[in-house]
Amino acid sequence: MTLSEEQILALAPDEASRKSGKDLANPSKWVMKAVNDAALWGECQGSGSKPYQTQIDIANIAFKCSCPSRKFPCKHGLGLLLLYARQKNSFSSAGAPAWVTEWLAKRTEKQEKQEEKKDKPVDEAAQAKRQQARQLKVNDGIDELKVWLKDIVRNGILNMPEKGDTYFLNVAKRMVDAQAPGLAGMIRSLAEINFYTEGWQTKFMDQLLRIYMIAEGYGNINSLNDSLQQDIRTWIGFTQNQEELKEKDGIVDTWLVLGKQTIEEDAVTTERNWLYGIDTNSYALVLQFIIRGQGAQLTLTPGLFMQAELVFFPSLSPLRAIIRQQINTNAISTFKGWFANWNEVAQSETMLNAVLPFRSERPFVLQQLKPVNYNGQWWLQDAQQKMMQLKNDYKTIWKILAISGGEPVDMAVIGREDSYEPVGIWHNDEYKIL
Amino acid sequence: MHRVAEKIIFFTAVIKNLMELWNEIIHTAMLGTDKKAISVDTLADDLSEAATLINSNTNTDKEEKFLQLASVIFNYRQSGALPLYKEEINLQPASTEEKEYCSIEAMQALQDILSEESIPLLKFWLRHCNGRQRIVNPAIIPNLFSIAMQNKSLQLPVANCCGKRGEWLARFNDAWNFSVSELPEQIWQTGTTEQRKSILKDTRKINPQLAREWLIQTWPQEDAAARISLLELLNENIGEEDIPFLEQVLSDKSKKVKEEALNLLKQIPSSPIVQLYQRVIQQAISMKKEKTLLGLSSKTVLNFTLAGTINEEVFKSGIQKLSSQKDTSDERFIIYQLLSQVPPSFLETHLGATPLEIIRWFSNSEDGEKLLPAIGLAAGRFKDKTWANHIINDDHRIYLDLIPLLPYNTREKYLLAHFDNAAETIVNVISREENEWSAELTKQVFKYTAKNPYQYNRSFYNMHIHLFPVQIVGELERCTPPEDNLRGMWNNTSDYIIKLISLKIQTIKAFIN
Repeated sequence: MTLSEEQILALAPDEASRKSGKDLANPSKWVMKAVNDAALWGECQGSGSKPYQTQIDIANIAFKCSCPSRKFPCKHGLGLLLLYARQKNSFSSAGAPAWVTEWLAKRTEKQEKQEEKKDKPVDEAAQAKRQQARQLKVNDGIDELKVWLKDIVRNGILNMPEKGDTYFLNVAKRMVDAQAPGLAGMIRSLAEINFYTEGWQTKFMDQLLRIYMIAEGYGNINSLNDSLQQDIRTWIGFTQNQEELKEKDGIVDTWLVLGKQTIEEDAVTTERNWLYGIDTNSYALVLQFIIRGQGAQLTLTPGLFMQAELVFFPSLSPLRAIIRQQINTNAISTFKGWFANWNEVAQSETMLNAVLPFRSERPFVLQQLKPVNYNGQWWLQDAQQKMMQLKNDYKTIWKILAISGGEPVDMAVIGREDSYEPVGIWHNDEYKIL
Repeated sequence: MHRVAEKIIFFTAVIKNLMELWNEIIHTAMLGTDKKAISVDTLADDLSEAATLINSNTNTDKEEKFLQLASVIFNYRQSGALPLYKEEINLQPASTEEKEYCSIEAMQALQDILSEESIPLLKFWLRHCNGRQRIVNPAIIPNLFSIAMQNKSLQLPVANCCGKRGEWLARFNDAWNFSVSELPEQIWQTGTTEQRKSILKDTRKINPQLAREWLIQTWPQEDAAARISLLELLNENIGEEDIPFLEQVLSDKSKKVKEEALNLLKQIPSSPIVQLYQRVIQQAISMKKEKTLLGLSSKTVLNFTLAGTINEEVFKSGIQKLSSQKDTSDERFIIYQLLSQVPPSFLETHLGATPLEIIRWFSNSEDGEKLLPAIGLAAGRFKDKTWANHIINDDHRIYLDLIPLLPYNTREKYLLAHFDNAAETIVNVISREENEWSAELTKQVFKYTAKNPYQYNRSFYNMHIHLFPVQIVGELERCTPPEDNLRGMWNNTSDYIIKLISLKIQTIKAFIN
């Protein structure tokens, strides 16, 4: 396991845990600490009479601790992992105690049980009935949505800034009732547009048209091919049975976590983990939904390399995937098949738009980009002197400039069309998170 | 839709009037289809087939037709997006560093200090980094610059530790322009107020004359606020050569500027104002020999009486005429003020005696005893180390202004001897110092602060961590107050102090090699 300190800290659920974790990355806080091939464990003297037993599955990065904290990972887990990153040699290599071996065995057992679950018979008739009822609800919802869309274009979008959130949120709620949560989310994002910035009209229309295309596509779904049908259903919010998905063939590769975007809404945290498959030169988006108070199933952190089998959701432009199996591996510094320049990215974008015009942003890894300033804004220039604009330029530009010193660097970006947000760069053969 | 999308893939090469096309969509959308129809004539050839297909559909209304056409054009636009090609847009890379990078351990210590948000520890780290002529890992530069923006005293040390990369990076952000590459005079001419103050202060220390000349050159262009803050800096190494300039400043429009100039003049023994005070004192303090009771020997007695008329300039310069204390006469009050503003060495000449004799004579009379602290103040004002030493040895009172003038050992003994009687004042004074305290003094301070946890909370220890020696860790337990309620609080504070000191130790160790 070769997680850097920065990567470990990126696992922390909040700033307080990050700080406390750092405080616990101190040998004096640990009564004992040890490591073997499968796990890392230690006993930390807390405020109770008995020390807390902290353990980490290093093959799949999972934490367990006997402390009462509801945070995940807790400060003890972070502290132990940080300490290991800093002082590997201070960990003894004694045999694992029962509390560690039992936990690891339980984890394996749980995985096996999940496999068994697949064999349970499904009541197909009831399932079909449920699906039919849902389709009716979605149809009704989409009919209403189209009326709303037409009202907007008939009356004009000029007065949209004065409408207020409720104008959009009411329709979003209606879509939730119609069991189309995907569309509901897209409508909510219309409310999130900053109507006080220049060019809001284009942002608004782009999103409105995406919604329209999906709604219209659903109306004609039977005339579309299977994959496009699947895409439209996914965007509307039909869920894919993940157990069924896991039955399908996956892509085995060494995956690098390029970046992680976290959005907190109500009691649910959505993690968007962007992955890059080094040998297959493929990209993936692994989503994780964490309900407050419950632990996360996956522990992915930007810069993590893992040997894993990913199964992609069926799509004309496969991106979203689930992890079937994962073992963390050492960092790899030699890559192939990256985009050589922006023209290649643009070509790839065109191909993707051709099959899926309403698709979302994607990651791209490009060779030798350098930041340049043109017309008062920051751009990323390739070796052919062609450039694309930096999205949220103030967020990352300073770190890119500081690390690169103005020299070209290989870079991972997420975006579409004409603006891209860098998430990491390679410097001295190391992937640096931005 | 899929069919339409398939066609669009071939359109990407031709991006004719793409933005005009999209603008047409936006204009129509803004006004609404009830008021404006999209003009098909404006469509590019590539889209005419799709447009004809959409428009010829008799089952759709104008809104639906607009949405369909807009969707096609939206995808036409996004599919045709190309990178911008501009020649001669370039960025000159940063120069190669001349200094060595910090070790991993040093960077680790820096990261830990940053997460502790301790500015004094950061200053301590930067001092070590600069002392070893090292530079930081470039990735952390933006973070350091952002901190230095808020803490002006960090700007120069941060700029020094960020090397060529920092200098280069600062060119792209005006707020970070606290680079050290420029010559001191350039910084003085063109820098920010804080940079100018800093450079004037440093120059005044090594070349007082040059600092004064710089100030004279720019004086007409400075506003009143800048004049005061810059003038204050002449306090360092002030001397006779400054008199002409300061006298000229006495006619400044701003009252505060004039006051500051006068204040500075009062620190120069040969200035007219101090000379005037000396003349009044010369007349006011006289010495006579008196026979002892039995008439066998004589003793020297000092007499303190003001001359009948005193030059009004004395009172115009800030000397108060009336005493506000009942037990102090107006006359003694005036003499006290004047005595505190003439160099103590003047008394040696005037009375023809040594400091020791003069202190003894003052102590022997009731009036003199009450006037003695004024000589202590004067010793502090004129930075007279000889008198400072005599005063603290021969007078039981505490003279805080004299502390910086005392040699290390004397100072230490003096502070420890008076600590119990003036703990709060001593803590306040020594907290403003820059050099580390001794372990013994720190122990005394902690014993006192531990008893007053609300006054001296975590922020006090954080702000003054640079003053605590690392050896104090072993003494923390001995500073525990006996009261039960305070003991627990001190234990928590001790943990915090240990954490801060461990960062200090980490920094020291990281820069040893």
